[in-house]
Amino acid sequence: MLAARTSATRGAARLARSFATVVDSAGVKVAAVDYGQPTSAVTVLVKAGSRYQTKPGVAHALKNFAFTSTSKRSALGTIRETELYGGVLSSSLSREYLALTAEFLRGDEEYFVDLLSSFVTSAKLTRHELVEIVHPVTEAEATVAQEDSATRALEIAHTLAFRAGLGNSLFAPPHSHVTTEDIKAFASSVFSKDGVAVLGTGIDQSSLSHLVEKHFGASQLSGSGLKTSASSYYGGENRVEHGSGLQTVFIGYGTTSPSAELAALSAHISAQPSIKWSQSTSPTSAGLTTGTTVQSVYLPYSDAALFGILVQGPTSEAVTQASQTAVKVLKEATGSSGLKSDDLKKAVAKAKFQAASVADSRDGLFSVLGSKVLAGSEASVNSLVSALDKVDSAAFSKATSALVKAKPTYVAVGNVDTLPYADELGL
Amino acid sequence: MFGPLGFTLAPSVRRSRTLYKWVKPLADWYANLAGYRKMGLKYDDLLVEENPEVQKALTRLTPREAYDRAYRFKVASLLSVNHKPLPKDQWLPASEDSRYLKPYVEEVVKETEERRVWDTLEVRRK
Repeated sequence: MLAARTSATRGAARLARSFATVVDSAGVKVAAVDYGQPTSAVTVLVKAGSRYQTKPGVAHALKNFAFTSTSKRSALGTIRETELYGGVLSSSLSREYLALTAEFLRGDEEYFVDLLSSFVTSAKLTRHELVEIVHPVTEAEATVAQEDSATRALEIAHTLAFRAGLGNSLFAPPHSHVTTEDIKAFASSVFSKDGVAVLGTGIDQSSLSHLVEKHFGASQLSGSGLKTSASSYYGGENRVEHGSGLQTVFIGYGTTSPSAELAALSAHISAQPSIKWSQSTSPTSAGLTTGTTVQSVYLPYSDAALFGILVQGPTSEAVTQASQTAVKVLKEATGSSGLKSDDLKKAVAKAKFQAASVADSRDGLFSVLGSKVLAGSEASVNSLVSALDKVDSAAFSKATSALVKAKPTYVAVGNVDTLPYADELGL
Repeated sequence: MFGPLGFTLAPSVRRSRTLYKWVKPLADWYANLAGYRKMGLKYDDLLVEENPEVQKALTRLTPREAYDRAYRFKVASLLSVNHKPLPKDQWLPASEDSRYLKPYVEEVVKETEERRVWDTLEVRRK
């Protein structure tokens, strides 16, 4: 009983600290947090997102190459051995990072760290695997993304907002001509000492750094890393015909300085109800017809952020009406009078909860704190939440009015004959 | 040993320098006598392709290799219809008679063997 209580307190202390310690092990940044979960997960985070890609679709192809044959084991061997251990392997790609994750039972970390390291240090990236395994998956994922109007709107919005770099699509173009030489060149430069971090949950910091030291020999990560120029925001308007699915409108603004105030603004705009089957009290949800949704999107990156409102609905009329309301609310919130203090408090509380609750899931933890680990700065959920504590009405109105001064990014996906134009919404 | 590539003593012959010196001229003579070079073919074109391993290996040829193979077959079948080999200056020189398909077949055989091992694996918990 006593032992149980001690471990519970220790767990709580660690939870508060989550990822605060970043250690260099064999030149690679390692961070781990252990709440006493029954399973462990190790993620290798690589600065190999689509913004770094040298040719369209290279990053997407490298993501799908994950866990194929290496000099240590073949693709089949990787799968079968992982099945015997009962682990789950996954890879995911964001605009900035490629994450290779292995989830497994406690005690199997030796094998899984070795597996992850062997892909990073000695992937074969063969031509027949590109044709037989990678291409079909890449094409299927690209097609699915193309069919989903919300994903499509966000992809176009990024391109309009940031053009090159962050504007690169996450997905390979429909007829991509990526060769193994392109992928090998990309992989050899992104797997560099500065560009790789190892994050663990449910695993002891010291044992993880020991394993990383053993498997990621410093000499094996010889890449020089890829540099991109700093992002700048452009904005613009685009309309795309889309046959199936919901009518979609994206109204967004970009900035090159992500801040907590924008997270609060996003929480204020969002019409997602906090209770199931109900309507939100957010002003944007006034007059929403059934099936129409207004979501706020706030995507912070290392040197830029895209804030926006994604309106989706079954008919163009409903979407137009909802967009008009949303723009009105956005203008009121970012105007000279700013938000009422109660509204601001509510928005900050909502944003704080969202920021804190990402730590509940592994994916969220890795995606939010991973970038901080790579940058070598303090990585804890507390720092994210405490930034929101400092939001006051003066700072809020300053940050948000600067945001909406820029040229808006406007994307309409669906029936372009009836969906509104940016100026019709008063942008 | 009796895989799609057939039985071969070549590695053991190559290991012994004396044996290699004696057997090599004989092998060259035999390869010329076999007559496939007169038809513009390479040795790997004669490899029996009616088995899954070679079929898989054929899909892994580079586009250039696959095109050249198809072209050689077309030339050879035309010559066969005409009952007339190529003029002597167009015979395939020994230097071009490379084993272009062999590495792919070996790779596929290795994969099949690995799959068999994994499929029949007996797991012992330590």
